[in-house]
Amino acid sequence: MGMFPSLFRAALPSLLSIALALLVCFIAIAVSRSDLSIAANAYLQMLWGGLGDVPSFLGSGNWSLLTRAWGESAAKAALLTFTGLAVSVAFCVGLFNIGAQGQMTVGAIVAAVIGAKVALPAGLHPAVAIAGAAGAGALYALLPAVLKVRRGVHEVISTIMLNWVAVSLVENWLVVGPLRATASGDLSRSGTDEILPTAELPRLLGSLSRLNAGFPLAVLSAVGVWFWLNRTSNGFEARAVGLGMEAARTAGIDVRARVYQTMAFAGALAGIAGAVWVLGTEYKFPATLGAPYGFDGIAISLIGQNHPLGVGAAAIFFGVLRAGGTRMQLLGVHKSFPELIQGLALLFVAGRLIWDSVLRRSAKRAVPMAEVPRA
Amino acid sequence: MDFEAGEIVALVGENGAGKSTLMNVLSGLYTPDSGEILIEGQPTRFRSPRDAIAREIGMVHQHFMLIPPLTVAENVVLGLEPRKRGLLDLTAARNAVQKTCQRFGFSLPVDARIEDLTVGSQQKVEIIKVLYRGARVLILDEPTAVLTPQECDDLFAVMRELAASGHTIILISHKLREVLAVAARIYVMRRGKLVAQVQGSASNERELAALMVGDARPSPSIGSAKRDRGELLLEIEDLHVLGAQEIPALRGLSLRIFASEVVGIAGVDGNGQRELAEAIAGLRPWTSGSIRFRGEQLRNPSPGELRHRGLAHVPEDRLSRAIIAPMTVEENIALGRDREPPFARKGLIDFAGRRERASRLLKEFDVRPPDAQARIGLLSGGNQQKVVLARELDLAPRLLVVVQPTRGLDISAVRAVHERLLLARERGAGVLLISLDLDEVLSLSDRIYAIFEGRITGELGRAEFDEKRIGRLMMGAERERPPRAPSANA
Amino acid sequence: MLEVIEAILFSTLDYAPALIFAALGAVLSERSGIVNIGVEGMMRVGAFAAAVAALVVPTGAAVGAGMLAGAALASIHAYLSIRWRSDQVVSGMALNLVALAGVTFLLETRYSPTGTPPIAQLQRWTVGGIDGVPLLRALSGHSAMTYLALVVPAVFHLALFRTAAGLRIRAVGEKPLAATTLGISVSRLRYPTVIGGGLLAGLGGAALSTATLDRFEQHMPAGLGFIALAAMVFGRWTPLGAFGAAAFFAGGNALRIGLASSVPRVLEIVPQGFLLALPYLLTLLVLAAQGTKSRAPASLGIPFEAEGK
Repeated sequence: MGMFPSLFRAALPSLLSIALALLVCFIAIAVSRSDLSIAANAYLQMLWGGLGDVPSFLGSGNWSLLTRAWGESAAKAALLTFTGLAVSVAFCVGLFNIGAQGQMTVGAIVAAVIGAKVALPAGLHPAVAIAGAAGAGALYALLPAVLKVRRGVHEVISTIMLNWVAVSLVENWLVVGPLRATASGDLSRSGTDEILPTAELPRLLGSLSRLNAGFPLAVLSAVGVWFWLNRTSNGFEARAVGLGMEAARTAGIDVRARVYQTMAFAGALAGIAGAVWVLGTEYKFPATLGAPYGFDGIAISLIGQNHPLGVGAAAIFFGVLRAGGTRMQLLGVHKSFPELIQGLALLFVAGRLIWDSVLRRSAKRAVPMAEVPRA
Repeated sequence: MDFEAGEIVALVGENGAGKSTLMNVLSGLYTPDSGEILIEGQPTRFRSPRDAIAREIGMVHQHFMLIPPLTVAENVVLGLEPRKRGLLDLTAARNAVQKTCQRFGFSLPVDARIEDLTVGSQQKVEIIKVLYRGARVLILDEPTAVLTPQECDDLFAVMRELAASGHTIILISHKLREVLAVAARIYVMRRGKLVAQVQGSASNERELAALMVGDARPSPSIGSAKRDRGELLLEIEDLHVLGAQEIPALRGLSLRIFASEVVGIAGVDGNGQRELAEAIAGLRPWTSGSIRFRGEQLRNPSPGELRHRGLAHVPEDRLSRAIIAPMTVEENIALGRDREPPFARKGLIDFAGRRERASRLLKEFDVRPPDAQARIGLLSGGNQQKVVLARELDLAPRLLVVVQPTRGLDISAVRAVHERLLLARERGAGVLLISLDLDEVLSLSDRIYAIFEGRITGELGRAEFDEKRIGRLMMGAERERPPRAPSANA
Repeated sequence: MLEVIEAILFSTLDYAPALIFAALGAVLSERSGIVNIGVEGMMRVGAFAAAVAALVVPTGAAVGAGMLAGAALASIHAYLSIRWRSDQVVSGMALNLVALAGVTFLLETRYSPTGTPPIAQLQRWTVGGIDGVPLLRALSGHSAMTYLALVVPAVFHLALFRTAAGLRIRAVGEKPLAATTLGISVSRLRYPTVIGGGLLAGLGGAALSTATLDRFEQHMPAGLGFIALAAMVFGRWTPLGAFGAAAFFAGGNALRIGLASSVPRVLEIVPQGFLLALPYLLTLLVLAAQGTKSRAPASLGIPFEAEGK
């Protein structure tokens, strides 16, 4: 099993970045409250909030103390996994997919509509809704791909623009206009109509928690992406395009097809995030997406170094942190701390080379620059 | 080594001998680990190019250090800009450049953008740049690589002028004939060491080559081995292709390639060779004309399609167009064929099959180290090129298009590549050799087409090879009768 | 009719400065070859710092605080991108996220979740003489930010194309290696441009909280930083081009708000969502039309490695 040491070494920059981010925030809390124990307690609360109230459980044997937290963590982790994968898959062909937010929005609204307006049996309904969401996300991601391939428009800018277009059209038009909730006649409800019970994603632990099928779906997706990348020739070609587009083209790989297909894949994953959010937690499309899941996906993907398993691990970690964040408030520590930890972790990951030199890894494998003459 | 005022000294050696590195130290770009540099007897240390410039040393790089969107004047004064009341004094800049030009007998359009100038003019700008800074020692790194024979003569005249007025010229080149023509003294380097010093007037190419390489075995060439040509593989008629920025690159080009022959394209860089290779390989569309490959008319083919039909392509720019540096050797070999056996089965990668094929090819082509799982970026240029050739030749192609196949390779790698090309010809393939190295083209080709401004200006069979004539055809100074069907015998 | 146009012109001149400064900041940084996606984050910290500082010092000085905050964030970006050659898009994105979460945290713990307390806005100046002239009088009555925003682009243009420093910045942005051979230090040129870009972005943020509004509002700059990037691309990485594009976008936004209030019927035909999406769609259309002829600096985004040292 010689794979593990090298896997560990590859993950080191991410692990160290997270550790440093945790440390910095710990110090920030301690300093702002002038009390080390509050900081320690806050972190503990965050942990219990995410993993379950272990002390109380040990005392009372009440499983719901644990499962409730697992449900929350899993729900968040699932969303982060999907959007994280949406970003990392796009990276495979060398495209920076900042548009996961828009793709997720589009997927979510489609899932909400199929969930509420189409009558299907319980097994099929969520599947069709998810498929629809995936398709919508895929199409929405193809837009920037086409713009890039055919017109050379940089995807960073086009995806950012398309995010705002999606949010504007969905949240400021569809959700308050044609798709507004009318079924109950109660006009004070925001968002779209509630989805039919047949469309809901099944709860895995019954009434013990909100843990739904979205989480295992996310885990499967991460494994699926890994398999695609490392075991199929389709994934191999995508990787080749990302690492050396010109060489891939010269060697006969259909670059355009791979780019389109991979971006569509990425968009589909983000769309599924939207579906899971609607069908598993919200049961409708509320007034707004609320959280910047798409941007979080970028952070997760980069912290996970764009590796599907790294993305999954980072998503679970931050999902737990996020779920636990609400408990920190009990100690007067603001609930947005997990977001700050995440942002800092990303910042530290951005300084990869610093870690490399700190760990004395030889980063000098530079391929000789073509311009400086070497005799 | 030592250099005196008013002389032209040359530095020769194979790729990797250390010539450019040495000169980069002298121009301040690199710092030496040990040893000293003495200027007029005083030990000197250069901590940056600034220091070297201050000591009147100017380097004209092989790959121009010019900024394309800026003008000639802006490029020349950059870093030493004349100012007036805090602002850039463009008039003074222009005048200064004009003056320097006049003083040394150049003429350059001072306000033109670099990207609009010819390569020869760009080189002159590089020279003016160093003269503007008061350089007394000029280092010219492979200056003739991109020049036409005419421009070469111009350059030599300039060099002699400058030497006569007290400047010292250090010429780095691997073009032995030129070096012997201009240099008073020649230093030979091998593997980072100085191995010999000869007088220009007293030596010859044979001797220099021997000193450079260690043994005087010449590169393989066809010699006079006659070979019967095979079937017609490629027929191009009146091809028009647009190049960068919509400028026509090929303007009605016609040629033919048969099996079992090597066809060389001789031409100065920028006359359409690149676009020709790209058009044939399916990487660039053509606007009119036709290409027939093995009898079939091609219509906007994709590279993948062409490879399936038996057309292999080894592009120039190995690092960016032929290999994917971060991927492993075996992955690079699989590129393009990654969906078929032995590389894959039913869409899934066949690791064992891929490994086995890669190992076999590495051995056959003598790639070092023969490690299929090594990152290809870590291999030397020569070994990388062997892998590329291995990949392409494993296709058993009918037509092999190679562009600049030996650029940047050392002599033994060049030899190996040439052997492979001739072997392919031996086995019945047609080889289209596009190279800026006229010697290479001359020694390997059965037939040569000369290209100038996007058209074929002449065609010569091996028996008619005449370097001077080809030079004229390459520069459009002589036009043959319009290219007709090659004579009936090979 | 004329009043409507005047009103739109007036509000454009009020809203545009933030966008203009941010766009100029982006141009400065990117002209030297460093991608700057972090403009949004720099605007956010600039807006927040200015609004908070204005609670204790005169608003004019508080703007300086905003600029420094932007510069501070930019210096991190500069350090990572130049010294450590990290991926510039990632670094910029990370700073956006840190600014987003960090400012939210500071806001909600020290003030209220919706925004900071109101401050004294920057004084508005009346330009004498044109009060009676229709249309032209829309030029009067703005804060120093507006007038500054009309002057700085021209100064920037002059500096970029007519000074030695500007020439070197342009050279480094196109081919840093060439500049090095002439004895120019690439990093010594890039640090100031990136930090200068941060100063400008911070100024843009400060404009939001001290001139356009009178406090920091929780969502600031609400995507304006990204529109600034679009303006930079539109304007082909030139100061005057970015200025024009930013003014155009700000004008479009003012138009939308103006139509919504003065001609509410428009909203029944064209839903608010479409109007909100319009600037982004327009940007995309223009980008698609421009195609590959974008004049981005050639070395943009490629970390520079000084060889052999």
